[in-house]
Amino acid sequence: MKRPSKHASAGAQRADRNLRFGWWSLLVFLCVGAVLEALHGFKIGWYVDVGNETRRLMFTLAHAHGTLLALVNVAAGLMVRTVERFTLRPSVSFALIWAAILLPAGFFLGGIVIYDGDPGLGVWLVPIGALLLFYGVARVAIDLSKLK
Amino acid sequence: MSLPIISVREIVRKLSRSWWQGLYVIAAVAAASVLTLISLRDFHREAVPPENRPIQARIAGYVSSNACRACHPGNYASWHASFHRTMTQVATPGSLPPDTEKLELAFNGREYKTERRGNKFFVRTRPEGGSYGEPQQVVLVTGSHNLQILWLERGDGRTLRQFPFGYIVAEKMWAPVTETFLIPPRIKEYYSTGAWNGACMDCHVTQGQSRFVTGNKWDSQVAEFGIACEACHSEGQEHIARNHNPLRRFKIHLTTGSDPTVTNPANLKGPESGLACGQCHSVWAFNDMPDKIDFNRHGAAFRPGARDLAQRFVVQPNAPDHVEQKDFIRHSEPDFFHNRFWGDGMIRVTGREFNGVQASPCFRGGEFSCISCHEMHLDSPGQTNAKTWARTGQLKPKMDSDAACLQCHKDMTARLVAHTHHSAESSGSRCYNCHMPRTTFGLLHAMRSHQVSSPSAQESIAYGRPNACNLCHLDQTLAWAAQNLHAWYNQPVPELSEDDRNVAAAVQWILKGDAGQRALIAWGMGWESAQKTSGRDWLYPYLIYTLTDSYAAVRFDAWKSLQTLPGFSDFPFTYTAPDDTLREAATRGYEKWLSEVRDPNAVYRPQTAIDSDGRFRKDVWQRLRSERDERPIFLAE
Repeated sequence: MKRPSKHASAGAQRADRNLRFGWWSLLVFLCVGAVLEALHGFKIGWYVDVGNETRRLMFTLAHAHGTLLALVNVAAGLMVRTVERFTLRPSVSFALIWAAILLPAGFFLGGIVIYDGDPGLGVWLVPIGALLLFYGVARVAIDLSKLK
Repeated sequence: MSLPIISVREIVRKLSRSWWQGLYVIAAVAAASVLTLISLRDFHREAVPPENRPIQARIAGYVSSNACRACHPGNYASWHASFHRTMTQVATPGSLPPDTEKLELAFNGREYKTERRGNKFFVRTRPEGGSYGEPQQVVLVTGSHNLQILWLERGDGRTLRQFPFGYIVAEKMWAPVTETFLIPPRIKEYYSTGAWNGACMDCHVTQGQSRFVTGNKWDSQVAEFGIACEACHSEGQEHIARNHNPLRRFKIHLTTGSDPTVTNPANLKGPESGLACGQCHSVWAFNDMPDKIDFNRHGAAFRPGARDLAQRFVVQPNAPDHVEQKDFIRHSEPDFFHNRFWGDGMIRVTGREFNGVQASPCFRGGEFSCISCHEMHLDSPGQTNAKTWARTGQLKPKMDSDAACLQCHKDMTARLVAHTHHSAESSGSRCYNCHMPRTTFGLLHAMRSHQVSSPSAQESIAYGRPNACNLCHLDQTLAWAAQNLHAWYNQPVPELSEDDRNVAAAVQWILKGDAGQRALIAWGMGWESAQKTSGRDWLYPYLIYTLTDSYAAVRFDAWKSLQTLPGFSDFPFTYTAPDDTLREAATRGYEKWLSEVRDPNAVYRPQTAIDSDGRFRKDVWQRLRSERDERPIFLAE
């Protein structure tokens, strides 16, 4: 990837930030996926026992959301380059990155300590991340519609 | 006339591609909706409750284990693996014994043939000299890991009748139900028509309502088949409703961890915790007729956590409570106590362990209860897999060892040998073997007494209960046990008869004891520890002779114990066979022992009453046999 020059617009810099974040995030969640596979492979009771079903669900959700939101950030970064006149607002760039951090982190932390069918307190990060994601996606949809 | 056609074509031509795509999507959604509605109609048709058996119904406050599963997956899973869940099941190919579809059995002058149609099973009955009648559907199955009993529709609402054969799981065999319990041989029917509705469902389901209609007709319903979550935790509707609120749940998680909308027996004091199990695992009786009627109509008023059984009470023969009710029982059912208790009030049937627990000295401390040693969910660290756990009495880890008693009696660790007078590795140094000997019987085997007690010769003389010493030292006399107990624990030596001094206690019990005593000894002769302690050679003739016992349950145990002895592991024997076949088998067994197995140089201790040729000492044998306690006994497990 060609780094934006000093003179490149702030919008392009933001897009590149989302792009970089997306790929690094994808790498992190690729590793998380490998760890989860290993937990399955070695039948680690802390993860696979029936009584730890909630933990397994939380970690699975963390992995799925982290991967998907990494791809959303990559897509957002690429859109700036491919869609004419489209720019990523600072708030949207911020929202998409933080959603991609808070959502999986909430699920992950919620799975570390569980109460039977309830996740741990860390899960409260999830609705905050969800709100940021909702805002980011809605804003992009509206901005794209306005380009018409 | 062609004008409208032309205009439709015009319209079609003018529709854009996106319109066509939209139409396709709408058509697909409409088709899926129609299919969903059709399947929904079928779903409702399936959900109509059957009319030929008791049903699971909405009983106020009860929500069933399905509702508990989402929030308590671990506890649900361990309960699901337990035999409590399968204690009563709707008859399906998965819940019935494997060969149910092709049985041809005969008993008491009737022949029975089973058949399968789809997922339903039916029984046809043919009386002697008659022809097979209409098929009756098998609708429920009761019991799980030991014995399974099938229940048939009676063609009269939800009233059930018993299929007269039970499936013995360990042996993979069918036997007349009357021969799977310790019942006088003259009784040919144990559970009559309507007995499931009127009695079995009191404990084999969760919150059953028998709902007597008239005559012998019942309209029974249950909160759930089997013993499910709400049997021990009380009804869950309010608990679920209140805990829809995540703030409430997290407040509980982060503070007390205890929710007042539901009962957790693990958090109760000993007596209340034990009673949650004791609501079924005890000999109980109704306070009076109005309470019996109320129980029958509305189910148990007892809820786990309560201090008493509400409409019922735990029957302890010698306790000072409920004197009037116990007197009434003595008059209306004279054998009630004899069929359930030893003479001193100790329980002698299995499945009623709370009677023993409650009468134990440990219980007085207020902390001791069933869950001191057992756990209802597989939640102790280091526990084995769920299947093993369920098959071994749902014991906590190491609770099959001295660790169970050492939880409280910690000082015993240091002075074990001084206390037991046996080597530390000996089975005589295991707490259970002396303080919880196998003096209760049911489901065709002897089981440990749950009344923690100390062995004495007096208990055997006064009440006929085999004492722990002689249950292991089968070849020793009662006098020998009494002398050791006197020397080691300063117990007074009771007055002893000539036989008590000269004949092994086990020989006396198996020859002249009542059927309950004979069953305990027949089982005990197969116990590995007893065989190691007492020797095996002299056991053969007694076990072979006991193959002809008049009680089927005694014969069964003699056969199973005989199979533990060298040379007899594959000895063929049908314990339900007619008397002459039993005698032939015993003769065959005895000849096999004499000619193939017996050591010709074997020397038998005089207490065993076997001479050097391997024959019973006639004088002793005839006297003891003539003194046999022939009083009918029916161990009402």
